[in-house]
Amino acid sequence: MWIYEKKLEHPVRITRPNVKFAKLVITQYGGPDGELSASLRYLNQRYSMPTDMAKATLTDIGTEESAPVGYK
Amino acid sequence: MMKCDNKQAALLRKIQEMEFVAIELNLYLNTHPCDQCAQNDFNCAVEILRKLKDKYECEFGPLLNFGFGSTTKNPWQWSEGPWPWEM
Repeated sequence: MWIYEKKLEHPVRITRPNVKFAKLVITQYGGPDGELSASLRYLNQRYSMPTDMAKATLTDIGTEESAPVGYK
Repeated sequence: MMKCDNKQAALLRKIQEMEFVAIELNLYLNTHPCDQCAQNDFNCAVEILRKLKDKYECEFGPLLNFGFGSTTKNPWQWSEGPWPWEM
């Protein structure tokens, strides 16, 4: 299950918005090799890992890769 | 970045700083599990972080939903602003 932490990890202040750059960043999140795709792969592949350490690592990274989606 | 914009922002900034310490030490201990100093530092950081979060949640509402945060008098505070991207 998922719980959501109602705070950002780091403070964010955008002093000069840049549409081109924003488009690039969004592609990184949602594109074919984006954070979201990677996150889903890790979270699904951890079930077939042979060691506890591997399961834990994929869980941690998969969860962490979901974080950028929250920033949107 | 206006750290002293208001009390809420300032306290949240302290939480972010302490959390950074805890995360970094956690990651370090993943590869250096026998480092006693780091373990002690981590435990101290966690203690401080918990106190800061309790203080924040008491005044400004929960940081976690579904009952994972501290209980507050007003149970509807979760849905109240400001939300993280509005701060």
